[in-house]
This record gives sequence, C-alpha cells and structure tokens, in this order.
Amino acid sequence: MTREELAPKVKDLIVRRLKLEIDPKTIDDAAPLFGEGLGLDSIDALELVLGLEQEFHIKVEDEEVGVKAFASVNALCDFIEQKKTA
Amino acid sequence: MKKTAVVTGGSRGIGRAISLELAASGARVVLTCQKDLGRAEQTAEEIRQAGGEALALAADVLKPEEVKALADRVSADFGGAEILVNNAGVIKDSLFPFMKEEDWDYVVDVDLKGAFRVTKALVRGMLHKGWGRIINVVSVSGISGHVGQANYSAAKGGLIAFTKALAQELATRGITVNAVAPGLVDTEIIAHLKEEARQEFTGRIPMGRFGKPEEIAAVVGFLASEKASYVTGQVWRADGGMA
Repeated sequence: MTREELAPKVKDLIVRRLKLEIDPKTIDDAAPLFGEGLGLDSIDALELVLGLEQEFHIKVEDEEVGVKAFASVNALCDFIEQKKTA
Repeated sequence: MKKTAVVTGGSRGIGRAISLELAASGARVVLTCQKDLGRAEQTAEEIRQAGGEALALAADVLKPEEVKALADRVSADFGGAEILVNNAGVIKDSLFPFMKEEDWDYVVDVDLKGAFRVTKALVRGMLHKGWGRIINVVSVSGISGHVGQANYSAAKGGLIAFTKALAQELATRGITVNAVAPGLVDTEIIAHLKEEARQEFTGRIPMGRFGKPEEIAAVVGFLASEKASYVTGQVWRADGGMA
C-alpha cells in the first residue's frame, strides 16, 4: 500500500474510532494529533492503539504508545509501514 | 459463545470454589497455581467430571515470564480471556515491629503486584473484545486492617484502590472491575489457627461462624456474570456481618 493510500485510511480510522465530527480529509498529515492540533488525550490514544491492532493487524507495544509514532498522521503511517515490513 | 475465565490460585481454598462456580455457570476455566500442579489438576478434573471445561496451568504471579506464558497460552488456545479473577494470595503475618522487610516485599509482590502482572497480560484482549470482568479477591483486612497483617492489609488495601482506578479507566469499554472482600473463611490459610483463636474470631462474627469458600465464590460468580453489567469499582464484603 502506498503512502497516498495509507494516509486516508489512517485518517478515517482516527475519525471513526474517536467519533470526531470532522471530515477526515481536513486532517493535516503533519499536524500534531495530541495536545494542540486535534487535541487528543490518553484515552483516545488507547482507542487508536486498539484500532491499529484490529484494522492493520499490527501489535503495538506499551512503550510505543504516545511517543513519536503517534505524533501525526505521517508518523502513524511511518509506524504502520515499519511494523508491516518488520 | 463460551467465555474463558482465568482464576489465579484456583487450585484450592476460595480459588477452587470460584473455579467450580464459574465452570458451573458455563465458563471454560483456566485455573493457575504457583507450582503444585497436582492440586490444580485435581480441581480441573473435578470440573471435567461435572461436565465442565477446565485447564490447569502452573503460573507463578511473581514471575513475569510465567505470566506471559499463561497469557500467550490463553490467547492461542481460547482467543483470550473474558473473565479474570485475581485470587492468588499469600500471608506472612507478624507484629509489625518484628516484620521482616522480605516478608513485606513477598506479600505485596504476590497479592498486589501479582494482580498487576496478570491483569496487564490479559486486559488488552478484553479491550479488543469490548467485554470483560475483572474480579479481585481482597480481604476485610484490606479495608479495616488487622493486627499482625500490616503487609497483607497494605497489599489488599492497595488492590482495592487499584480496583477503583481501573474500573474508571475501563468503564466505557464494557469491562467491569470489582473486588470481593471475604471475612474469615474456612480454608487452609487459617487452618493453623488454634481452637482458642478460632473461638475468639468466631465471637467477632455476627453470624457466629466462619464463611464457606462457596459463599465467596457465589458473589464472584455474580460479578462475573452478564447480569452485573452496571456494577463496577465496588468492594463487596462477604463476611458474616463483620462490617
């Protein structure tokens, strides 16, 4: 899957799993997801982890949560690609 | 679909009664023990004889690698557990001025951190299912304190606070977390009591008798059931009226 295909899927997952009332297309690839930007919190992070594990069939380790991998849509895509090839 | 229940320290005493209760209510029971697999196997066989499904496994809650092996096995064989009963517990009583640091550490490590280890290993699976029941077996000693049990009271009191915090974290995810606090129950853990001490304790119980393991297991059985879906973060005493 190319980055162009993956990024919309990740945005869709974020909006759907976190029940955000925004158009996935309006999420900037590089904008921060937590704190500023979308303003997500740790409970949202848990929901994202469950979503990634269920829909992308990867295993997210504790120490990987909330750090760089979850910084932005771009970072999440990198993370998924790296997990998929690992 | 058949639910899978993990009961730590499920081979004897209250844990054994809980294993039998959950099996009777239709759950597949994975009962663990520290090392005496013979006893655990005996309880598992008892469940099978009664038409239930049971698996006995040795998993020391003190050892992260054994807890991980338990979780991996449950995940591989049964697709995870829906019900977890943190029942494994030990006592090392002494008056506090004489209490050894190693006895403090041992009791806190088994009774409190053991629950952390096993819950941690199984909770992700429950999150994925969006359904779960976690029941921590505590003690009235963890609510009111008890002479000679500073370590045990502290560990069980900690487990109660853990129950309440985790209940709030998991509340929106279909997972309830509750504690059951037995008073004095007739098991091996108090078999060493002298007749004099037994009588003294009995005098403090309004019902005038010790509890039976089955009377604790019945409460656990309810909290593990679908019916208890709106109960979370609670400590349910089963103590013959000691409160």
